[in-house]
Amino acid sequence: MKVLKILLVLLFIIIPLTLFAKSQEKPKKAKTIAELVKMYDVSSCKECHADVYDEWQKSLHARSIFGPEHVGRTAATFRTTVEIGLKEMAESGVKKVEDVKIKHLAICTKCHLPQLEDAEESVAQEILKNIYNFAEKGDEKAAETLQQLNINCLVCHNRNAIVHKWVDGYPKKGVIYGSKDGEHADAVFKNTKKNPIMKESILCGQCHGLGPTFGTDNPSQCATLYGSYLWYYVAEGGTKTCQQCHIKDSKLGHNMQSYRSPELANMAVDMKVDAYAYLWRDVVTPTPAASVKVELTNKAGHVIPDG
Amino acid sequence: MPIPQQLGRGDKMGRGPYEKSGLIRETSLHPNKTKVEKFEIPLYIEEKKDGKLVRAPIAHDFTIDVQLWYLPYGKKDDPENSVMWKSYTKQISLEKGGK
Repeated sequence: MKVLKILLVLLFIIIPLTLFAKSQEKPKKAKTIAELVKMYDVSSCKECHADVYDEWQKSLHARSIFGPEHVGRTAATFRTTVEIGLKEMAESGVKKVEDVKIKHLAICTKCHLPQLEDAEESVAQEILKNIYNFAEKGDEKAAETLQQLNINCLVCHNRNAIVHKWVDGYPKKGVIYGSKDGEHADAVFKNTKKNPIMKESILCGQCHGLGPTFGTDNPSQCATLYGSYLWYYVAEGGTKTCQQCHIKDSKLGHNMQSYRSPELANMAVDMKVDAYAYLWRDVVTPTPAASVKVELTNKAGHVIPDG
Repeated sequence: MPIPQQLGRGDKMGRGPYEKSGLIRETSLHPNKTKVEKFEIPLYIEEKKDGKLVRAPIAHDFTIDVQLWYLPYGKKDDPENSVMWKSYTKQISLEKGGK
């Protein structure tokens, strides 16, 4: 009987402790690129949102750490960041590629692959191995691997969907943040929730940013568009949002484009030219000349080009 | 184009995003603003005739081509990155005769 009592007491202690430990478990982190890709797998989105998915696949968001198809300019810049940047910074702690950690890559991945924070250091090294193999040896398999890592549905509609987390809450597992509350026909993401900033420029401003990334140990500056949107466009009376021009007015939907797109180029700038020939007298010397006047009007909601 | 400042100090342009943290010079096109540039193009060759300076037209008919390019890496011969946004062509003429 005494033994039974002890066992019961132990059971009452062990079960709550186990449950508590389970509730305190940190989310599992990806150990490989394959695991990270699986963690952010959006193949099921395609089943119902085929058009949107196809649009997105044509965008640079779909190859955010590789860059333009076949060119891989972004991947090459990652390599330069290590070789010319990190290795030459006396206090970065990076003397060789193997020293590069997630915190170093975050200079780029804060925007180009924010979900790298959900991975272990081994993934940072695997990404670099593929980047170097592509940049230095033209390894096509490495290029394919890198193009599986991207800013996809789950980054904008879940992970990075909420900016003011104390007001709107932290992004929840299994929820797609979009335009309305409701049920969602998916085995994992079973609900939708209305995101108050889904159609606001601040959503894009998280990455298409303000300038130097203050608040980090070594600020960098890739994008300044949200800054120029606020201080030049809105300040001059502009009222459109990023989404209005890049998704709706362009008619490109989730194929969000910039300077490479004829549609966006046409929307961005008006060019007027006037030209004529004439003869003027330089004191007494008749001098043939042409006058060409070029007027450029920026119709975009930000400076062109970005700095 | 905007010239980013290396590490937010001094007079040097930053190379990559890892060292850009400011602007040395801002020459971009601003939203809702029009920039006007005028180009005066000489259309003559200079020579001496009877001891006098003469500026003779190189032709009477000309084609004016104006192209607006987006060159993110600064070079036109970079087909995967450089993009021509707008182009304009006009035939102009100098009148013949007169004095």
